Amino acid sequence: MPGTITWARVKSPWVLHFNSGACNGCDIEIVALLTPKYDVERFGIKLEPSPRHADVLLVTGCVTQQCAERLKRVYDQMPQPKFVVAIGACACSGGVFEGNYNVVGGVDKVIPVTAYIPGCPPRPEALIDGVVKLLNALNPPKPKKQPKQAKVPKEEAKPAAEPQVVVAAPEAKPVIEEAKQDAKK
Amino acid sequence: MLKSDVDIVKVIESKFGDKVQIQLGLLGTAAVNTNGLHREILKAMVDADEKTGITAITGVDLGANLGVIYHVHTAKGFFGLRAEVPKEKPRIQTITDIIPGAAFHELEVTDFFGVVFEGNELKGHFLLSEYWPEGIYPLRKNVNPAEVKLNPAPPEEKMHEDRKIVKFIIGPQHPALLEPEKFAVTVDGEVVTKVEPRIGYVHRGIEKSAESRSYIQDIYLVERVCGICNPCHAYGFVGAVEKILKTDVPPRAKYLRVISLELNRLHSHLLTLGHAGLEIGYETLFQYFWRDREPIMDLIELTSGNRVYASLMTIGGVRRDLKDTDVPKIKTTLAELRKKLPFYRKVYTEEPSIRARMQNEGVLSRADAIKLCVVGPVARGSGYDIDVRKDDPYEAYGEIPFKEIVYDSGDTWARQNVRMDELEQSINIIEYALEHMPKGPFRVDVSRYVPAGEAINRVEAPRGELFYYVKGNGTASPERVKIRTPTYANIPAFLKTAIGENIADVPPNFVSLDPCFSCTDR
Repeated sequence: MPGTITWARVKSPWVLHFNSGACNGCDIEIVALLTPKYDVERFGIKLEPSPRHADVLLVTGCVTQQCAERLKRVYDQMPQPKFVVAIGACACSGGVFEGNYNVVGGVDKVIPVTAYIPGCPPRPEALIDGVVKLLNALNPPKPKKQPKQAKVPKEEAKPAAEPQVVVAAPEAKPVIEEAKQDAKK
Repeated sequence: MLKSDVDIVKVIESKFGDKVQIQLGLLGTAAVNTNGLHREILKAMVDADEKTGITAITGVDLGANLGVIYHVHTAKGFFGLRAEVPKEKPRIQTITDIIPGAAFHELEVTDFFGVVFEGNELKGHFLLSEYWPEGIYPLRKNVNPAEVKLNPAPPEEKMHEDRKIVKFIIGPQHPALLEPEKFAVTVDGEVVTKVEPRIGYVHRGIEKSAESRSYIQDIYLVERVCGICNPCHAYGFVGAVEKILKTDVPPRAKYLRVISLELNRLHSHLLTLGHAGLEIGYETLFQYFWRDREPIMDLIELTSGNRVYASLMTIGGVRRDLKDTDVPKIKTTLAELRKKLPFYRKVYTEEPSIRARMQNEGVLSRADAIKLCVVGPVARGSGYDIDVRKDDPYEAYGEIPFKEIVYDSGDTWARQNVRMDELEQSINIIEYALEHMPKGPFRVDVSRYVPAGEAINRVEAPRGELFYYVKGNGTASPERVKIRTPTYANIPAFLKTAIGENIADVPPNFVSLDPCFSCTDR
């Protein structure tokens, strides 16, 4: 049963978008992901308006003083296990707005972040890549292919076997481990 | 109606004589030292020209005093009326009874500088966070934001006042809002009776931080006011600095700037027309518009090197030239988009669901549009013909023929149709600019140190007039940068038109303003 849950979670992650003080650059790129050219719905990724139904929280923009408490509240409303992706230079570190009087800083100052996608703004391809890496971390590719590798030693399939997250913050690790334990059960 | 800006100067001269000082050519047409007569001068201007309105109110820290500059537009001119108040007792009389659209501009100066406008009914923080303490004003020069102690907790909000009349609070995180803003909507049954906005969730303090960075760094900083209309912001700042430097930009750079600004308008209009479809539950239209927006994004990448942030403008010209080999690709992409426009026009004019949801909804009359000082497609949808590209041509717009789109009905449908028709005009402008592109250099070298002086710059951004005021003090960073964005000017229009509407019609009406709150909050 836990295997089924992980399978469902990885095949259809529902994402919630929260703008915590962004300039609309990253936000529009997220919307562009849902439109015909990139169309991430083919991977089962769906933009979900309510935090209570979401698996992944996409945060864009530096965190402003007014938004900090709201961001925390939205995060708390999400069910476990939950993952946070910081999108764009501002969400990763505060970006050009670091040090301004109304700005708290990057998203990791307020809530734990699982994956960081830098760029100003990151291209839609980079966003897809980041989300795919996060999903691979949740459900590492199974080592079934190893016998095949023995037959064809030249094939380089090793990098894909290791789960990769773009960068994982120290606070975020427990969340992932919990997910893995879920999967093991 | 008056035909030229000189007439307004004559009106002021004949009425007030020696009581005021007029400096021609500064801050637009002329800068006027009002010496306490700002209300009287504004009244005279409103009487002389029906199109008189407030573009922005700038606060400036002058040391012992606080300066207040009223930037006033008339049919053909643009004026800066200066007033001063002492720092100990910063009180000045409001102008909202003469021009109602000035209310939120005054509130902003109160928030940032603590100037009290006697008679303005709006109170409380509008842009600053609710944790920000009373009595400290961040844009005054003596305030060091790092030392400010924030309030621990804001007061709680009441969701419901009584049983019959319900107060909804929409936002900051809400499915219908892409950006975090809050609207307290009071409804009586289904009908909206009052809307109270609270912005400032995206306020990043860009105006203050621009004062501590160099002019070159500031170009990239002000670009990040808004990810959608970024070339307009970059040009707004750069153009104002060039006016202080008295630099002439080479003709080729002027055409390249026009191409960048118009490509930006194309992508922004396609974006908002699609978003309008989403708000009325017509998702197919949303997907179609965004599909056709992607080739324009490719063109922006082709001409500037970046998909979103063009970063093309720089002081003295543009950073990249346009290759001759890229021109055919731009032309074919635009021709393809032009082929698709008749289909979209048919959808917008004939589709029954669009007509039912948009026609006769959110009607703003021409008289109200002038009174509330709205800008851009919102004004042009109400028959109020203002377009900076025509009224005060900048760069190459004076040489390029195009049509100013005006609709008279003033409803949601008219505002979207203005954008629909402007798509075609933008394609025409880019094609004309490509055909008539002059040869020669695309930038000139300029000094990094900008002399003391002040200048304004007006740009017709996709959402309407964008206004920049830059004051230099002879160092490597500016003394004051003021940004008035189009959505800030259009908020009063939404507050007015939403009253009396059904709650279900509020989202399409709201989106017809093409709201951008990262612009509004700065």
